[in-house]
Amino acid sequence: MDARGRGRRAAPPGGVNGDRRSQYAQGFYDQAWSDWQAYGVLTRAKDLPRWHPLHYLQMACEKLGKAYRLRNPRADVDAIATRHVGFTQFINEFLRSPAVMADYDGQRARHKAVSKTSSALAREIEKLAPATDRTHSPENAEYPWEHGDWEKGTG
Amino acid sequence: MLFRDMPLSKEQAARVLADAHFGIEDGLERVFIIRAGLDDPREPIKLLEVNANTVPTGSVEPIPFSPSKDIPFVTEIAEISPEEFSRLERGELALPPGWTLEDADDVPRPRAA
Repeated sequence: MDARGRGRRAAPPGGVNGDRRSQYAQGFYDQAWSDWQAYGVLTRAKDLPRWHPLHYLQMACEKLGKAYRLRNPRADVDAIATRHVGFTQFINEFLRSPAVMADYDGQRARHKAVSKTSSALAREIEKLAPATDRTHSPENAEYPWEHGDWEKGTG
Repeated sequence: MLFRDMPLSKEQAARVLADAHFGIEDGLERVFIIRAGLDDPREPIKLLEVNANTVPTGSVEPIPFSPSKDIPFVTEIAEISPEEFSRLERGELALPPGWTLEDADDVPRPRAA
């Protein structure tokens, strides 16, 4: 797929046939990639409020996490597809997966530091979704005026 | 080799992973090795991990990970928050099919971790 979305597969419709889970996983992956590219474009745009790229960053991460979680053949497709949370769990579990553990063989302190930073970043990104922890984190990238400073945000 | 030179049994691998996870994540409060299916070669290692540094989702969703050279078993990790674990204990949250805390190993945090 290119930056304009050419070659992108169609998103899975409501009544997909065949392996519904795999189709959803591929659809989320494709759209995560598209969101990530939009994040890059918006980050480079001048004088654009910062919540616009942050919104796409949050969406890219959410969809990437969903795509990976749908690898589980016993996954509840509808639950994963409709929830906005789960990215932090995905990052935490991925960083403790056997393959990543092997990558950091003999570097436990480094692995621990990377995990700590990545998990904290994942939590902050996840909180950018308006559906996540609105009581403690009312600020979000989609409806930034809930933070009370909607006229700001170009920093 | 990451852990040792001898091939690990699935049960040993699960314990090695649990101990190593405590060493990486300070927020881990509990790690349970689910014993259901542990003797079945078709079943993955299943770890339920209670992490204070996670965002609750309201459900228990394991994510499967591929084997590695050192841990030659598919491993499923399900991470939940301490609040979700309390809900699980009260029966307000369900474990996935094939998972049960009955006979599960509640792995103690290694002293050095």
